[in-house]
Amino acid sequence: MNEKELLKGNIAIAKAALNCGCSCYFGYPITPQTEIGEYLSEEMQEKKLAFVCAESEIAAINMALGAATSGAKVMTTSSSCAVSLMQESLSYATSDELPIVLVNVMRAGPGQGYIYPSQGDYNQATIGGGNGDYKTIVLAPSTVQECIDMTYRVFYLSQKYKTPAILLLDGLLGQMAEPAIVGVNPYPEIDNSSWVLDGAKNRPSRKIHSLEPDQTKLNQHIFKLHQKFMQIEQNEIDYEEFMCDDAEYIITAFGSMARSAKTVCEFYRSHGVKFGVFRPKTLYPFPAKRLAELSQKVKLIIDIEMNLGQMLRDVRLAVLQNTQISFIGKPVGDWLKPNEIIKTIDNIIGEKYATSL
Amino acid sequence: MNKSFLISGSGGQGVLSIGTILANIFMLNNLNTTYCSSYGAEMRGGAVNCEINVSDREIFNFQNEKIDCVVALNQTSFDKFISKVKENGTIIVNSSLTKIKKTRQDIKYIFAPLTQEAIKLGNIKVTNSIALGILSKLTLNFPIEIVKKTYEKILKNKTELIQKNLEAYLLGFNYVQEG
Repeated sequence: MNEKELLKGNIAIAKAALNCGCSCYFGYPITPQTEIGEYLSEEMQEKKLAFVCAESEIAAINMALGAATSGAKVMTTSSSCAVSLMQESLSYATSDELPIVLVNVMRAGPGQGYIYPSQGDYNQATIGGGNGDYKTIVLAPSTVQECIDMTYRVFYLSQKYKTPAILLLDGLLGQMAEPAIVGVNPYPEIDNSSWVLDGAKNRPSRKIHSLEPDQTKLNQHIFKLHQKFMQIEQNEIDYEEFMCDDAEYIITAFGSMARSAKTVCEFYRSHGVKFGVFRPKTLYPFPAKRLAELSQKVKLIIDIEMNLGQMLRDVRLAVLQNTQISFIGKPVGDWLKPNEIIKTIDNIIGEKYATSL
Repeated sequence: MNKSFLISGSGGQGVLSIGTILANIFMLNNLNTTYCSSYGAEMRGGAVNCEINVSDREIFNFQNEKIDCVVALNQTSFDKFISKVKENGTIIVNSSLTKIKKTRQDIKYIFAPLTQEAIKLGNIKVTNSIALGILSKLTLNFPIEIVKKTYEKILKNKTELIQKNLEAYLLGFNYVQEG
């Protein structure tokens, strides 16, 4: 466990989930995340844990809800178009206050799309497709090691706040292998004895449901959830700053795209142009405050995504009103290469550094 | 140090295995590495390729436009990836399954009858290891102990197969002369 292994992002997630006590997995195969279920199907059977290949994604996430009521650490994994099917249950799980871990290894959309990698589900994950006032914790890894670290974290946060949490990565990272260390889960176990449905022996019975016909009570309940989201926004924001200290230009990017952004940043730095990269690790809660601070002293923020500008909205909302923002993006398929990005940035800033490529 | 490799061929030729072995060699050498594979829905016969990057620094970019060293195990991949080779880069071509043709003058070609050599060794499955030997000699010259350790790690206790692969690797390694 403490040795370096060459791991695909998908396998890394599966290993970390098992390592931090995930005892129930429900899923339905879909590219590009099938390896997670494939790996777990073998391992969980050996360890006598619950692995169910469900009949559909709707069934999978609802099984996860059911299992979560018993206090088990549960996970379901899927990809874009199938995660769409799970939106209703995310809304239910939030209202039911159930810790559910959902891994979305993104493919191309909208609709059926195809298996090409993409970052097109930023909005779906952070804003949500379910009904009602709710938010979902979203973490976005950028390396295989982070797939592991953030799997631990996503389980911890969902347990800590009794709410669904999403690990959002692009198909590229799910499929790519890098040396990584599974290590040990660094987070403490959360005591759930106050709410789990484990048979009402020697205690009053409990129920978990989201139906509430009493208007006052429903308002109270939603305010309570809201308080929780405020706490999450207060405590759990995480981000990476890469050469941002003296940066005049800041690239904002998440997931795998941040890696290309760093290459671009180093290129401009080598020409004496002060670039930096700001990478949110938590997409919700979004590190708005820090980005606002950074935006005070930059000439331009360049947001780069493998979609047509989804995190861009959060970037715009975060920064000061007079901050200049440009966007570079492409919806699906071959990742934007650093050289392409540099040419586009040259155009934006009116320079010709790309000629030295 | 920063190098990129692309191994390509058809499903069943051991493209992904050799890519994994290469990435593991780098890892055991304490270098940073990334391994990215791409294949169609077919198990055998479809086009397969994988890109491996190695660096002593953190690797940001794991999909490059241009590659330092390409291995093409069949005609289709030779035709498809010759344009991806960096200027002054190298392409190692399996001439058993490829027409020898030099369309570019700015790269180095190694044509080697890998399939035939593997058959001569008694196991067509080690075609890929001969290619790995050539690649090693031409690029980073990995210590043989690490190569051996990697084969043992990947092939576990298949002693005979490990031996055959090492034999193939060394054949490849000695196939090309320095310079």
